[in-house]
Amino acid sequence: MLSGAWRWLSPVGLLLLWQIASGTGILSEDKLASPTKVLAAGIDLATSGQLGDAFVVSLRRVLLGVAVGAVIALALGLTAGLSRWGAVLVDPPVQMLRTLPFLGLIPLFIIWFGIGEEPKIALVALGFAFPLYLNVYAGIRDTDPQLLEATAVLGFTRWERLLHVVLPAALPQALVGLRQGLGVAWLSLIVGEQINADAGLGYLINNARDFLRTDQVVVGLVVYAGLGLATDALVRALERKALRWRNTP
Amino acid sequence: MAQHTVTVRGLVRQFGDRRVLDDLDLVVRQGEFVALLGRSGSGKSTLLRVLAGLDREADGETTVNGTVSVAFQQPRLLPWRRVWRNVSLGLHGVDARSVADKALAEVQLTDHAQAWPLTLSGGEAQRVSLARALVREPDLLLLDEPFGALDALTRLAMHRLVDDLWQRHRPSVLLVTHDIDEALALADRVLVLDEGRIVAEHTPPVGRPRRHADLTELRTRVLADLGVTLDEAA
Ligand SMILES: Nc1ncnc2c1ncn2[C@@H]1O[C@H](COP(=O)(O)OP(=O)(O)O)[C@@H](O)[C@H]1O
Ligand SMILES: [Mg+2]
Repeated sequence: MLSGAWRWLSPVGLLLLWQIASGTGILSEDKLASPTKVLAAGIDLATSGQLGDAFVVSLRRVLLGVAVGAVIALALGLTAGLSRWGAVLVDPPVQMLRTLPFLGLIPLFIIWFGIGEEPKIALVALGFAFPLYLNVYAGIRDTDPQLLEATAVLGFTRWERLLHVVLPAALPQALVGLRQGLGVAWLSLIVGEQINADAGLGYLINNARDFLRTDQVVVGLVVYAGLGLATDALVRALERKALRWRNTP
Repeated sequence: MAQHTVTVRGLVRQFGDRRVLDDLDLVVRQGEFVALLGRSGSGKSTLLRVLAGLDREADGETTVNGTVSVAFQQPRLLPWRRVWRNVSLGLHGVDARSVADKALAEVQLTDHAQAWPLTLSGGEAQRVSLARALVREPDLLLLDEPFGALDALTRLAMHRLVDDLWQRHRPSVLLVTHDIDEALALADRVLVLDEGRIVAEHTPPVGRPRRHADLTELRTRVLADLGVTLDEAA
């Protein structure tokens, strides 16, 4: 089977084609700068500190949004998952809200939060919270009743059952929710940063657009993509560590 | 008078309008090993769940003196806790690790204390489940077809182990099974459950280990109680 290094053949080939198309003028720089130009712009933005500053601002928005969203999703998910009344009271409204296209809430968010950091963070929080809530709730509810029964006979206290049965049972599903949620969080950030941003990666991209700097636009996109990949790798590492009981040799 | 660990009188358990347990009486004496035989669906697990306190919908008088542990047909281990934690979790006020190690040594699983349950074979997992039940030093040990899913050779080894553990700790045991040879090899008393009540009671010869040859005649009688005549079985 062909694998390993050969998998890079076509991506590198495409990059070469792109470079050739730019070099021969088939692809004008106003539409899309060449890979080497993008690389140069990247180095430029990085050394001037602009890229680093934008990166920090955007990362902060995501981290805050994810933190807020996690608190909300875990609180609601645990309430709905662990108590009958919690499920009755919490789940229906959340399921209804879920059907709203949440990016359509931007106008409301601007009215509520203005155009500063808050609507961007709120958008990330909202986008992140739904997948996490749904998966935490489902994970808790799917706890094997046979295990609960067995541990009841074994004299586990309620707290021990929560700690050693329910929460670990829900963890794999919760981690799926975390991964889905982070994917939505990055999208929310990109959309949110279109709102009147004066800093961050979205601002950097919009600014570049105004000057037709397609090289800088692509640099911004590459950084977005890199951040998405990095968080995904982070969650995978977390999964491997937290779910190592599943990786039977 | 020796105290009875289990006293059941007039136990009735209905699902819909089907009476699975119908006016059942049962006594298990202290330290006694009782096997409960019955065909599949005869209500063995239902009875066990009542005794374990897992089913509170049953009518009748049920008294259990002392603490209860259960080993189920499936080991029901927590896959995300290591073997020794599975044995000791839920125990309070003891040195969990040393208690678990001792129990695991009794079922010859010392080397697996640190293993994850999903890496165990069926027999090993069932031994962990036994260790987990025994480490609580129960007055009553309920076994619900704990060897039903094991291969014949492993099952024989498990019989010796259970016999051994019972002799050492002397809990009252109620072993539910559909395996006649298992019941005859292990129990002081063999009960047959049918139509919701105990329809027959047999006492295998005392002395252990029992030889298969000594049990042939009794085996035929128990089979008859279960509605199987020998030429049918052959
Ligand atoms: N929770 C339940 N709801 C309805 N029927 C049940 C329930 N539990 C057991 N039964 C029925 O009771 C009968 C006896 O079941 P069980 O005690 O599990 O039999 P077994 O002797 O094989 O252990 C079966 O017909 C089963 O379908
Ligand atoms: Mg059963």
